Amino acid sequence: MTVSNFKRSLRREGYALIAPLTLFLLALLGFPLVVDIVYSVSRVGFENIRRPELSGFGNYAKAIADREFWSAAWFSLRFGLLASLLEVSLGLALAIFLAPLLGKRSWLMAILMLPMMVAPALVGLMYRLILHEFVGVAPYYLDLWFGDSPAFFSNDNAFKTLVVVESLQWTPFALLILHSAYAAISLDVREAAALDGAGAWRRLVYIDLPIMAPAIAVTFFIRFIDSFRVFDNVYTLVGAGAGGATTSMSIYIYQAFFKAGDIGLAVAASMLLLGGSFVILFAVNWAGARAARA
Amino acid sequence: MTKRLLDALRWLVFAAAAFAMNFPVISTFVTSLKGEAEISASPSLWIQRPTFDNYRAIFAMQDRFDILHFLGNSLVASLLGSVFAILLAFPAAYGMVRNEVGRKWLLPLVVNLRAVPLIIFAIPIYLMYQNLALLDTRLGLALILCLVNVPLALVLFATAIAELPLEIEEAARVDGADTRRLLIHVVAPMSLNIIAATTVLAFIYSWNEFLFGLMLTTSRATPVSVGASFFFAASGGGVRWGVAAAVMILATLPPLLLGLTMYRWIGRSMTAGAVKG
Repeated sequence: MTVSNFKRSLRREGYALIAPLTLFLLALLGFPLVVDIVYSVSRVGFENIRRPELSGFGNYAKAIADREFWSAAWFSLRFGLLASLLEVSLGLALAIFLAPLLGKRSWLMAILMLPMMVAPALVGLMYRLILHEFVGVAPYYLDLWFGDSPAFFSNDNAFKTLVVVESLQWTPFALLILHSAYAAISLDVREAAALDGAGAWRRLVYIDLPIMAPAIAVTFFIRFIDSFRVFDNVYTLVGAGAGGATTSMSIYIYQAFFKAGDIGLAVAASMLLLGGSFVILFAVNWAGARAARA
Repeated sequence: MTKRLLDALRWLVFAAAAFAMNFPVISTFVTSLKGEAEISASPSLWIQRPTFDNYRAIFAMQDRFDILHFLGNSLVASLLGSVFAILLAFPAAYGMVRNEVGRKWLLPLVVNLRAVPLIIFAIPIYLMYQNLALLDTRLGLALILCLVNVPLALVLFATAIAELPLEIEEAARVDGADTRRLLIHVVAPMSLNIIAATTVLAFIYSWNEFLFGLMLTTSRATPVSVGASFFFAASGGGVRWGVAAAVMILATLPPLLLGLTMYRWIGRSMTAGAVKG
């Protein structure tokens, strides 16, 4: 067999290996994407689901003119930013402060990772019980100790409640990544700095944190992307309650389709969300490439 | 002396963090062991008269509250979804790494998929399922769970296969093994650790999936993540909080136990791709 023949058969075999996955993705992502695009520029309802009439950009105009669309986008953005900021700060503080304990005992880490094993939807339901004004354990103790307990789901407080719920569940994720990043810093670097007379605090600020900066940034972006598309815990804990103050982007699309039956609006909002995701992805990849060059 | 004080403080912070972050499960577990009367009389974390009545009550419930049905649906759909994801991703990862096909476009595409909210595809998938009679079936749910898990599986497998020594595969080729036999008898056995870790992780993520379970099922294939919320719908005499708590503990137990016992294997995989991106 000649070399070029061998290469060709290697490629042919490679295509055979990736074919099943590619076909699967074409069916469950490619085809839906085409449907999304077509429906988003069509007048379509359940009665003409197979024969949508092309109608231009009316669905997009409707979404963009909808105040609830923007309030959902604003909710998701604020929620994503605040929750990931909290998770990264808390995770970083814990990773560094608890490093001497966690380094030697992996079972301690296993306990701290447990929250990630619980379905976010169930966590939402559990907090429904915990925060319930009559049978909830949180109002009970707040009443006992402070003589008062806040309305967790009022228009003003629902957002804060949800951010705390999300952060408590996903701080472990930040902790896990940042713990490995911190443990990976070589002892030599720290010892050299200590010999030069740098105190613990200076070593943290001038050595540890700069070395960990890429890991911190990656953790933040992963958590942001995940929290931005939040659905499960918000839906099970408050639904679109609190006067619509807790409608995330995902919940907006879900409701446009399942509650209002407005297919055109739902798919147009989906496409806008996809566009937004691309912008974020490009920004992250661009920042990553820049950081790699620097 | 200050060192010991600092160590004590560390243990204290660890205990506080572990308690706060695991609080939902701890508190729900406590509630599940209380009688209905005690729950409304005293919501504290102290149990005056522990009882298994709530757990007993669950298994006596039927129809819309048949917990075994929900657990069974979750088990079947999650197992199928995880196995599908591995069967699709493993050969593909091998083809990408060793045959260098699709590494430039398919791999980044799938990896970035994790950053795209899947709800974007949910509506066409719903309509497609309606036409294919896949709505409210375990198979339909399993296919979606496979889609959810494929990115992680692909990243984990591609990384693991790239680290395998080429010599063994070359030796097997010289002995006349074709690619299919090579994959099954040489590459897969060498990758057993990562396959096991991926299966466990994919199973946990599948078990915990909610959005598609909510949209694509109504009763026959409802997974437990969705079914658990039925117990919160006040019917007749209001929500039976003790029963609801017990349901949530049962629904949470499988992934929780898997995570606790398998932590050493899955811990590193959970953040895979996070650092390499």
